[in-house]
Amino acid sequence: MTTTRRIENLIMTGLTCLGAAIWFFPIYWAFVTSIRSEDRVVSDEAGLIPDEFNLGSYIDALFNTQMLNWYLNSIVTSVVITVVVIISGMMCAYAISQLRFAGRRLLYVVVLGSFMVPTQALVVTQFILMDTLGAINTWTGIILPQLIVPVVIIVYKQFFDAVPKEMREAVVLDGGGEYSLLFRIYLPLNWGITTALAIVTFIMSWNQFFWPFLVVTTEDMMTIPVGITQVNDAFGVFYARLMSVALLGAAPVAIAYLIFQKRVTEAVMISSGVKG
Amino acid sequence: MSVRLTDVRKSFGGLDVIHGVSMEIPQGGFGVFVGPSGCGKSTLLRMIAGLEQTDGGKIEIEGRDVTAVEPADREVAMVFQSYALYPHLSVYDNMAFSLKLARAPKAKTREMVHEAARILQLEEQLDKKPAQLSGGQRQRVAIGRAIVRQPKVFLFDEPLSNLDAELRVQMRLELTRLHRQLGTTMIYVTHDQVEAMTLADRIFVLRSGEVQQAGAPLELYDNPDNRFVGGFIGSPSMNFLPARVSGSADGMITCSPEGGEGATQQVRLSGELPGEGAEVLLGIRPEHLRVVEGGLRVRVEVAEELGDVSYLYTRMPDGREIIVERHRSRENLDGATIGIEADPADVLVFDGDTGQRMR
Repeated sequence: MTTTRRIENLIMTGLTCLGAAIWFFPIYWAFVTSIRSEDRVVSDEAGLIPDEFNLGSYIDALFNTQMLNWYLNSIVTSVVITVVVIISGMMCAYAISQLRFAGRRLLYVVVLGSFMVPTQALVVTQFILMDTLGAINTWTGIILPQLIVPVVIIVYKQFFDAVPKEMREAVVLDGGGEYSLLFRIYLPLNWGITTALAIVTFIMSWNQFFWPFLVVTTEDMMTIPVGITQVNDAFGVFYARLMSVALLGAAPVAIAYLIFQKRVTEAVMISSGVKG
Repeated sequence: MSVRLTDVRKSFGGLDVIHGVSMEIPQGGFGVFVGPSGCGKSTLLRMIAGLEQTDGGKIEIEGRDVTAVEPADREVAMVFQSYALYPHLSVYDNMAFSLKLARAPKAKTREMVHEAARILQLEEQLDKKPAQLSGGQRQRVAIGRAIVRQPKVFLFDEPLSNLDAELRVQMRLELTRLHRQLGTTMIYVTHDQVEAMTLADRIFVLRSGEVQQAGAPLELYDNPDNRFVGGFIGSPSMNFLPARVSGSADGMITCSPEGGEGATQQVRLSGELPGEGAEVLLGIRPEHLRVVEGGLRVRVEVAEELGDVSYLYTRMPDGREIIVERHRSRENLDGATIGIEADPADVLVFDGDTGQRMR
């Protein structure tokens, strides 16, 4: 390795480490804050180094707030959204990719079009619709508008298009129908992308703040990101408790990400068009 | 008859690709569709399978009209060029797939898959995934999948074209053996006339969606109906020489090949003789040409010596190429100018305009 190359590497490593430190600092600070007592957090002596190990704010967050309820709400809504989005997206993509029917292209254009409409533009109509359905402050109200994820359809369609035609014909000759084709061939062949899409969908709906914040007004129906806003009370901000709720709320997603890191990266690259 | 096609037609978006094809393949026969790319041979096979709709005519399998019957109900099995194996399933599950779809009893499925695996020597491979197999083994799995269905007709769509030359020869022999062992009707599509000649008991030469000629391999080789069949069957292919009839008598005509500098070739014909001055096309197979004193003068450009056979790639003075096949010749003729001629009975005559055979 030449000296210039070595210096280049050193600079790049330094820059990357600096970037990582900037990115990591808020998480570190949240953690340090969460293990201090509320008094310590606001005292002048609180420095960068952890000087106290107090789990009081975690216990407080878990048992004196509705945190466990928020967990339940987040888990139920995210799981239902993930399952429904994946199954319906897959079936829709299969129809657009493999079946021949009038309006197929138009349907795909509509799917592509809906991809371009920001969720904020639909919020008022969706709120009125949920109100009409009596779904405000219910899981249904949180879930329904989040079931529209066109990117899942688009990604699945790309993958289904790539399955060789002969494979389909072999199944047809073997006596298989569309359901056999989808569930015995197309789905297992695309198992990798299915798990990747499921993880990304789960993380997206778990982190969703805007819509659940609008559709839920009672504390017991809130999801974790919305619940965090409730940790403050009339007497001010409880930093340690706020940070412990935030860390507890992010933990499941962070763990899921760590386990499925490779697949998530793959899904993000595929859905953003870096890799096809 | 096992498979009968009557005036079968197909068009894609207004373009006719199959123009009223009629043919018959007997029970237990091995029919081969051969022709250049785009001649409609694969389309015809897919129409028999039911993968393409038929726009006109009738397709019958063992006397039953299947023209409008769903592919799965036609009792045919197809082996694809790409094998179309299910990559996520084991060899066993690939072969058992159709039986599982039909909800066949497990014991029966196991018995049938093992029987097919035994025939194809795949017993050791049943637990493997297709990706772990060699090209030849994958091909056998694809055939095994077809055998398990116990079809009335096997359809093969260029199944050997993805294999290397050596394996192709081996699989060709295995297919012939398999055909004898099973005794089931087989229809095979290829663009390779060697495959057609070696496998078929009846060849259908197709061109632009029409059957040019149908018959036993040697019948097509010895007696082509037209220039296309003559040129397509046989390797190296038949030499064609435009010529003018300069004399005719007693069932013989004398022809002067174009650019032959006065050389003549006698041809024996059994039917009506063309008149003097008629433009014809002489078709002479490389093995029928002899090196002689006199005859048509050509220059040897390249001589390929293969031991028992040698091929002389020669050119006439006007640049036309003629291939001469010699057996057990040790004479080095590379670069030499030689004279060639054929026995009058071995020369085929085609109409200069239509390319139809004159007998």
